[in-house]
Amino acid sequence: MRVFGMTCDDCVRTVSEGLKEGGASEIFVSLKNGTASAVVDDSMIKPDDLSRLPVFSEKSHYRAQVRKVE
Amino acid sequence: MKNEYDLVILGRGAAAFSAAIKASEITAGQATIAMIGFGPLGGTCVNVGCVPSKYLIEAAKVAHTQSSPRYPGIEPGLLSINFGELMESLRRTVKEERKERYENVIKSYENIDVYDGKAQFVDRDAIIVKNNSNPKKLKGYNFIIATGSSTKIPKIEGLNETGYITSNTVWDLNSLPRTLTILGGGFIGLEIGQSLERLGTKVTIIKEHNTVAPGIEEEIGKTLMEILTSEGIDFRNGKKILRVYSRNGKKVVEMQSNLGKEEVEADEILVSSGRMPNVADLDLEKAGVKYSENGISVDETMKTSNPLIYAAGDVVDQKYRLETLAASEGSIAASNIYESNEKRINLQLVPWAVFTEPQFASVGLTESQYNATGRKSTTRVVPLELVPKARILKEYHGSFKIVVDSETEKIVGVHALSPYAAEFIIEGVYAIKYGLTFRDLIENSHIFPTVAEGIKLTSQSFTRDLSRMSCCME
Ligand SMILES: Cc1cc2nc3c(=O)[nH]c(=O)nc-3n(C[C@H](O)[C@H](O)[C@H](O)COP(=O)(O)OP(=O)(O)OC[C@H]3O[C@@H](n4cnc5c(N)ncnc54)[C@H](O)[C@@H]3O)c2cc1C
Repeated sequence: MRVFGMTCDDCVRTVSEGLKEGGASEIFVSLKNGTASAVVDDSMIKPDDLSRLPVFSEKSHYRAQVRKVE
Repeated sequence: MKNEYDLVILGRGAAAFSAAIKASEITAGQATIAMIGFGPLGGTCVNVGCVPSKYLIEAAKVAHTQSSPRYPGIEPGLLSINFGELMESLRRTVKEERKERYENVIKSYENIDVYDGKAQFVDRDAIIVKNNSNPKKLKGYNFIIATGSSTKIPKIEGLNETGYITSNTVWDLNSLPRTLTILGGGFIGLEIGQSLERLGTKVTIIKEHNTVAPGIEEEIGKTLMEILTSEGIDFRNGKKILRVYSRNGKKVVEMQSNLGKEEVEADEILVSSGRMPNVADLDLEKAGVKYSENGISVDETMKTSNPLIYAAGDVVDQKYRLETLAASEGSIAASNIYESNEKRINLQLVPWAVFTEPQFASVGLTESQYNATGRKSTTRVVPLELVPKARILKEYHGSFKIVVDSETEKIVGVHALSPYAAEFIIEGVYAIKYGLTFRDLIENSHIFPTVAEGIKLTSQSFTRDLSRMSCCME
């Protein structure tokens, strides 16, 4: 995922938490690259829906695009 | 500069700027953005469109008021016009506006790289930027195509050889043409035509149709044409142009109508026969983007047939070509790229105007457009002379028309030909957006005396005889 809006380690924690709450695991968030990767069980959440999680909603600082699904 | 961007925007006009800025705001300045185009920053509106045309219109209005004062006791003054100086000041204003609204603004966004050149797709995720130096390939994840539109030059024998000006070059004039032939009766030709006529040019407008400004309510269009005729513009309707040629330093247009052949001779020809979207050189097939000669096809979210590519502004296949719409669509495209709650454009709510004097402004559907949807409409037309402020202004020519759904009484179209129409049409936008009926408009006081009161009077005319009402009644 490409993640926009992260400026510090706190942001990394918030984004990781948000992804976890959304059902993702094996989460890796890079502040430097503005990216995140995670594993999801697509019977629980479709990979493309990760960018619609509350942590990336209009009220939050962060936005995300799911760029690659493997 | 980079070779790869989060967002590549083709164009540097209103749609492109609005998209780039919105994308930067949403992503806290972290989206890497390339913006590609040629010519002065800001595109059509600021450089050769809205700004210079409205400047000329306002200047010409001052000249007209001076030469034809409306009030008894005020005699016409001796009009002295230095056209060269006026045009110099127009170009200065354009330069200042461009600096203020575009050049300085873009400097404050570190994440946006501005490229000079023409862009062409080479793949679904890559373009090539061509300018005088080496072509550069840029990759992007998302794209927004905002390449605008250009004047359509009709294929007429002898036109290129004889020479002409367009709305791109008219602003470079330094001396006023004594006579001008305008090809086309769209809003650009009307605005420039009336302005130059008021400054002293003898203007002839040649057009195929019997109405002016496509999309305008027919009876209102006819009134506008009558007003412009009374100011001295010579309309030649229903003419097909056969050829253009030079004779003794003049430019001659030969045309055909039912009555036979006729000619108009002038110092200059202004081609103003519509606009065409700039799609031809983009190699859109390589990007999987569907388009036609009318523009790029998009859905209401501004997405093209390639889900990662959006389009905005004049290049889109849609009924309006407006600065405000371009900016709004650019912003919607950027929002939809980065945000999950989809924003949609609703063309029914887009107001548009012709800045002649009087102005024409409109929102929603005309009577015939609404009837074509299969629903029944009821309409009222109120002549401008019934509006007290218009009588005070001594402006008697114009009208208001409101179209409502016959069953629900909800307003579906508001059209006005009057002074300041462009300033108050927003009332019609809200009326349609919030599903108001003509009764809702009556219930709210309008300031007396204003021309905008015409909207209320037209609403009242659905149920009342206006001649039996006293001032400002609800
Ligand atoms: C005379 C006139 C008066 C007008 N008056 C008004 C008015 O009063 N109110 C109103 O709302 N609207 C008005 N308009 C319309 C308004 O100007 C346009 O709707 C608006 O400017 C469109 O913006 P845009 O961003 O879509 O396109 P543009 O502003 O035209 O920008 C297009 C950009 O694309 C670039 N480009 C083109 N081809 C390529 C390519 N191959 N590769 C890369 N870049 C490319 C150009 O360099 C330019 O930067 C007027 C227009 C004219 C001509």
